[in-house]
Amino acid sequence: MTITDLTSMGEPQADARAEINDRLKRLQDHASDYCYQCAKCTSGCEAHKLLELEPHKIVALLKRGLITELVNSDVIWTCMTCMKCRERCPQQVAPIEILFAAKNLAVQSGKELPGKYTAMLQSILGTGLLQEVQTVTTAANATMTRDQLGLPPLSVPSDVAKFQASIMAIAMQKP
Amino acid sequence: MSSQRYALFPGCLMPTEQYAYELSLRASLPLLGIDLVDLPGLSCCGEPMKSVNQTLTLYLSARNLALAEQQGLPFYVPCPQCHLSLHETNLILQKNPAMLERINEMLKAEGLHYTGTTRLVHTIDLLYDTIGLDIIKKHVTNPLTGMKLVVHYGCHAIRPKELGRPDDSENPQKVEAILKTLGAEPITHYPQKLDCCGAPLLPNKPETALAKTGQKLQAIQELGASGVVDVCPWCHKMLDSRQTKAGETVAAKLDLPIVYLTQLLGVALGVDKEKLGFTLNLSPVHKLGLRSQP
Repeated sequence: MTITDLTSMGEPQADARAEINDRLKRLQDHASDYCYQCAKCTSGCEAHKLLELEPHKIVALLKRGLITELVNSDVIWTCMTCMKCRERCPQQVAPIEILFAAKNLAVQSGKELPGKYTAMLQSILGTGLLQEVQTVTTAANATMTRDQLGLPPLSVPSDVAKFQASIMAIAMQKP
Repeated sequence: MSSQRYALFPGCLMPTEQYAYELSLRASLPLLGIDLVDLPGLSCCGEPMKSVNQTLTLYLSARNLALAEQQGLPFYVPCPQCHLSLHETNLILQKNPAMLERINEMLKAEGLHYTGTTRLVHTIDLLYDTIGLDIIKKHVTNPLTGMKLVVHYGCHAIRPKELGRPDDSENPQKVEAILKTLGAEPITHYPQKLDCCGAPLLPNKPETALAKTGQKLQAIQELGASGVVDVCPWCHKMLDSRQTKAGETVAAKLDLPIVYLTQLLGVALGVDKEKLGFTLNLSPVHKLGLRSQP
C-alpha cells in the first residue's frame, strides 16, 4: 500500500527516489527523510518571495517519491541558489541540492533547457568560458576592450578538441 | 615582508567583462606582498552548469584544481561562485575516492591528474586572514575618511557554513573590519544584508533577477549609505552595471555608488585611481570622489 497523490494521481517511484538520495549522499550526509516540514527553508527562501518556490514542498515530494511531479515542474528552475534553505535547516536537509538533482534529472530525461543555459553550455564547449570576451562601455560612454585596459590575454584550454571530447563524454553518461 | 605566490583563478565573468575587479586586484595586492601568477589552460569552474549536469561541474572544477596542483601553487579565486565550486569539489573528491578515480579517468584525455591538494583563498580571507589587518594598516597612505559604506556579501561567499566559507553565514563582519582598517565608516548591520542580488536567475528569469536587485538597492538607498562595497563579479554586474534597469523594476530612481573592495583597497594604499578601473563602474562613483563626473 503506497500513498497516491490525489491531485495528480501520481504513484511514488522508489527507484528514482533512491537515485536522488544517492546523489545527495555524495554531496552531504543527510537525506530528505529527516525533514519534519517546519518550513523554515520556505520562510527564508529568496525565490519564494518573488516566484512562489516552496522548498519544504520540494522535500515533501521527494520523501513521498513523487519524482515525476518534481522533475516535470517548472518551479524547480526558479531557485536563486542563495543557499539559505540549506544553511538554516534544523535537520540539515538541503532543499537546494534536491533541486539541483531534480534539474539534472529533467535535463537527462530530454527536457529542453530553459533560457540561456544552452547558449552557456555551447560557449563553454567552444571557448572554455561562459561567454566570449566583451567590449565594455565606460561611464563616459566610451568603449574599452580587455587589451586596451592593459590586461593580459585570457587563459583558456590549450587543446580545445580534447577539452570538448571530455565534456561530450560526460554529457553522454549517467551523472 | 616576504611575498606569497598565488595562481590567479579568474573564472568567466571577471576576465570577460568585470574588468574593474581584475584591474584593481592586480594593481593593489602586490603592494601587500601577494605575487599573482597567470596560469595557462584554465576554464569555467562549472558552477553555472550545476543545474544541468553536476558531474560536469565536478569535472570542470577538478581540471582547474589539477592545473594549479601541477604548479604547486594555491589558487586565489576572486569570484565567490568559483570559490564555492572549487572548494566543494575538493571536499567531495577528498571524501569519495571512487569519484576521484572517475574524475581522474576523465582528466586523462587532457593529460591531467588531480590528487586533491590545491588550497584556495577568496579576496575576503586573503585580506583578513592571510595578510591580516595589521599589515594592511601599515600600508594605508590615503585613508577613506567619511565614507559610510554598506557591504553586500552575496550568497556564495558566506553560505553554506558547514562547508567552510570565507566569512560567517549569519553575521559576516570581515569586510567591515577591512574597511575600518582602510579608514572608512562601514554600517555594520542592515536588514537586507544577507539577501541575494538575483544574478543566479539571469539565465532563465532575467526580469525577476533585476527585481531582486532593485528591491535590495532601494532598501540600501533608504538607509542613507554613501555607497555599497561588493566582492563578487556577479553581484557587481547586478548592483552596478544593471542598477538603472533594476531601479525601473521597483519604480525607484537608484543613485548608489557601487565599488569593489579591491578598488577601495587600491585607493587607500595610494594606487593611482586611473589604474583601478573607476571609469568602468556605471553607478555614480564620482559621488565618493573616486573619479570626475562623467
